[in-house]
Amino acid sequence: MASLLQPDRVLYLVHGEKKIRSSLSTLYFCRYCSELRSLECVSHEVDSHYCPSCLENMPSAEAKLKKNRCANCFDCPCCMHTLSTRATNIPAPLPDDPSKTAMKKAYYLACGFCRWTSRDVGMADKSVASGGWQEPDNPHTQRINKLIEYYQQLAQREKLERDRKKLARRRPYMPLAFSQHTIHVVEKYGLGTRLQRQRPGAPITSLAGLSLKEGEDQKEINIEPAQALDEVEPLPEDYYTRPINLPEVTSLRQRLLQPDFQPAGASQLHPKHKHLLIKRSLRCRKCEHNLMLYYFSVRIMSIPNLRFQKECQVLLTLTNPVESITHVTLVGCEEGDPEDINSTAKVMVPTKELVLAGKDAAADYDELAEPQDFQDDPDVVAFRKSNKIGFFIKVVPQREEDGDVTVSFKIRHDFRNLAAPIRPSEEDDAPTEAIWLTHHVELSLGPLVA
Amino acid sequence: MPLFEGLGSGGEKTAVVIDLGAAYTKCGFAGETGPRFIIPSEIQKPGQQQSIKVVQYNINTEELYSNLKEFIHMLYFRHLLVNPRDRRVVIIESILCPSHFRETLTKVFFKQFEVPSVLFAPSHLMAIMSLGINSGLVMDCGYTETLVLPVYECIPILPAWEALPLGGKAIHKELDGLLVEQCTVDSDSSTGQSLPTYIHIDPLMLFVLSCCPVRTCFISDLQRGLKIQEAKFNLGGTAERPTPPPDVDYPLDGEKILHIKGPIRDSVMEMLFEQDNEEKSVASLVLDALVKCPIDTRKALSENLVIIGGTAMLPGFLHRLLAEIRLLVEKPKYRDALATKSFRLHSPPAKPNCTAWLGGAIFGALQDILGSRSVSRDYYNQTGRIPDWCCLSSPPPESVYDAGKTPPPLMKRAFSTEK
Repeated sequence: MASLLQPDRVLYLVHGEKKIRSSLSTLYFCRYCSELRSLECVSHEVDSHYCPSCLENMPSAEAKLKKNRCANCFDCPCCMHTLSTRATNIPAPLPDDPSKTAMKKAYYLACGFCRWTSRDVGMADKSVASGGWQEPDNPHTQRINKLIEYYQQLAQREKLERDRKKLARRRPYMPLAFSQHTIHVVEKYGLGTRLQRQRPGAPITSLAGLSLKEGEDQKEINIEPAQALDEVEPLPEDYYTRPINLPEVTSLRQRLLQPDFQPAGASQLHPKHKHLLIKRSLRCRKCEHNLMLYYFSVRIMSIPNLRFQKECQVLLTLTNPVESITHVTLVGCEEGDPEDINSTAKVMVPTKELVLAGKDAAADYDELAEPQDFQDDPDVVAFRKSNKIGFFIKVVPQREEDGDVTVSFKIRHDFRNLAAPIRPSEEDDAPTEAIWLTHHVELSLGPLVA
Repeated sequence: MPLFEGLGSGGEKTAVVIDLGAAYTKCGFAGETGPRFIIPSEIQKPGQQQSIKVVQYNINTEELYSNLKEFIHMLYFRHLLVNPRDRRVVIIESILCPSHFRETLTKVFFKQFEVPSVLFAPSHLMAIMSLGINSGLVMDCGYTETLVLPVYECIPILPAWEALPLGGKAIHKELDGLLVEQCTVDSDSSTGQSLPTYIHIDPLMLFVLSCCPVRTCFISDLQRGLKIQEAKFNLGGTAERPTPPPDVDYPLDGEKILHIKGPIRDSVMEMLFEQDNEEKSVASLVLDALVKCPIDTRKALSENLVIIGGTAMLPGFLHRLLAEIRLLVEKPKYRDALATKSFRLHSPPAKPNCTAWLGGAIFGALQDILGSRSVSRDYYNQTGRIPDWCCLSSPPPESVYDAGKTPPPLMKRAFSTEK
C-alpha cells in the first residue's frame, strides 16, 4: 500500500478499457469477475442522500420533493458557510392581556464566519426555531407553467399525428380487423373515430361499441404570446456619478447561487437551504455486482541508499487480511513484457513461495498462543509478525538519471471467494475453491543517491 | 399543475437539462422554472491550482474526453444528485459548436454514463420557446462571442446568422489591459504596486478579478457613450470626455486593495459598441441579420427581438442596444435596405443567462415527444455518430426503425408495437 502522504509509491495495474496504474487506495475488487477495477471502469450510482451539516439521511423521495436540499439547515448567501439559529429575548405583548409585556424568544439566522444575519435582508424574526424560514418564490412560475401546459397540448397533437402516420403506413400489412393497439388509441383519444370514418371502406365493425366522442370538447389551452416592449428603462441619472458601496454589490458567485433571482444588491440575498451530498455505490460494469475494496497490499518498509548499478536490498512487507493461510509467489517481469514499461531497475525477487499466516483477531490477546512454525529462509524473510511478513528484494538501478527508481514485478496469490453463493453440488466439491490471481505491481523507490 | 411534483405523466422521470456555456454551465431538471445550479465550466485537477476550462475546441480528443467526463461526473454526483442512467438528457448548444466537440460530448454521455437518450437543442430556438411566440430575432451575448440568429415560425433562418467575438472574454481582456496600465495595488507592506506582480502568483486573484467588471462597470446611454468614444479616438482634439464616475477601491483579498480609476469603469464596455473598420458592432449584427432575411419576415423579426446571454445582463446594456440599433438604422447602409423601423424587445420570464436553459426545460417537460425527437442510445450504438445539422449523411431516426424498408445489416428488429 502507500502511506498517507505519498499515495503513488505502489501502483497496481488494472486491465480495463485502458490500462490504468494507480494506488490500491483508489482501486476496487469485483469478486465475481475476480478482477481489479478502478474508478474509471465502474458505473457510479446514487445510493443515499444526507445533509453535510446535520448528517441527517434523507429518503430519496423526500430529497426529490425538497429539490435535494435539507429542510433545517441554511447556507449564508455571502460566504456559503452554514448558518446557525440564534435566539434573542424581545418584549412582546401577552396574547390575553395586551397591556402587559412578557419576554418572548425570537429566532434569527446568523453566520458565524462573516457576521451576516437574516435581519440584514429584512427577514423578520420567527417565533419557532426551525421550520419558519421560507425561501422566496420565483415570480415567473405561473407563466412558465402555463407555457408548459400549452406546449404539452401541442406535443400531444404531434404524438397523435405520429401515431396516425404509423397506422397509415401499416395498413397494407395488417389484417382487416384492427389490432388491439388501434382500438386502444381510438378509445383513448376519441378523435380516432372521426379519422376512421373518413376513410372509405374501412371496416368499422369492431368500433360499433364505441360512442361518438365528437361532441366532447377538448379543452384548448391558448397562450398569450409574450408582448415586446418599445422602450427599456435607462440607468438612473445619478448612476454615473454616485460612488459605489462595494460591499453592497454582490459578487458573481453570490449572484449565481440564486439562479432564479440573481440579485445585484446584497440586501436582496436570501439564504438558501443547504444542498445535500450523496453516497455513491459502485457497480462492476460487466457483472453488475457491487464492488468491494481490495485488500491485499504490498508496502514498502525501508529503502537503503540506491546507487547506480549497485545492488541493494529493499525491505517490503505483505499483509494478509483474510483468516486463512495465503500463499504468495513473486515473479519478476520478463524481457519484453508489454506491461512493463516504467521500470528503471532490475529486480531480483525471492523465488520461493511465501506463506502468510491468517489474520487472527484474538492473537493480540492470546498470550499463550504458540507461534506458528514456518521455516523461513533468513535471506528472504526478514521478520514475521502474525499475518505480516517482511521480505527482501534486490534492486539494481539500471539507469543513471533524475527521477525515481521504479521496479515492477508480478505478484501471484490465491484468493478464496467467500461471498460466492454456495451452490448445492452433486460431487463433493470444496465449498470455496481457491483461484490464483496475478497482479502487476510497480514500486517507486525514490531518487538515486550519487 | 401535476399532483406529484417530479413525476412525469406515465411515470417517466424528468429529464436533465444542461446548458454548457464557455464560461458558466446551467444545469437542472425539465419542468422547473430555473436551473438548479449555475457553475463555472471548469474542473480542478488535484495538485494543480489553476482550473481547466472544459469547453475548449482546440485540444485533442483524449484530453477533451477526460475533461468532459470529470465535469459531467461532478454535475451528476455533486449538483444534480441523480443517476445518469435513469433520465434523458437535453443539451442546449450553440449552432456554431464544432462537430468534434459534440461527438466527444455525446460519447461521454452514452459510453461513460449510459444515459437513455440525448437531445441537442439550439439555444436560439429554445429562447423563442420560453416566450410562447413563433418568430423572433435572437441575440446571444455570451462569453466567447455574440451570435445572432433569426427564427421565423419556429424555424431558424440559418443563412442569416451573424457573429462577432465581442463577449465576456473580450471584456475581460480589455479590462485587464487597462488595469495593468493604469491602476495600482496597495497592500500592507507596499503602496502603488502595479497589478501584474500579483496576478501571476495567485489564480484566486484572477477569479476575484473576473467579478470586477460585473460589480464596478456599466454601460452608458447613447449620448454619453458616443462622447466617450469621441474623446477616446480624438486624442488631443476638442472632444471632451464626460465626467468620469468615481474611483473604486476593490479589495483583492484580505490585504491587497486595487484602486480602479473612474474612467475605466464606463469606457471598458464601449468596445461592444465601437464600430471597427468594418463598421461592425454588437448593434449592427442585428441589422445585418435582418438584411439577410427574406423581406416578408423582417417586420415580424424586428418587432420581436430577444436578447439572451450573460453579457446582456450588464447594467445599461439593453437600453443602449436599442438606442444604437435605432441610430444605425438611419445610416445610409441600412436606411434603404430596411423598410421596418420599429424595434421591440421581449423580456423573457427568466434572467437572460438562463433563458435558453428555460426553453430547454420547457421542451424537456414534453414527455410525449421528447423520446421521439432525441437520439437514443440504441441509435448511437448502431450508427456510432450523432446527427448534426451540417452533415447530411446521418440516417434519420425513423428509417432505422422502419419495418418496410430494408434494414442495414447490423440492425436487429427494432420496431415493436407500443403498448
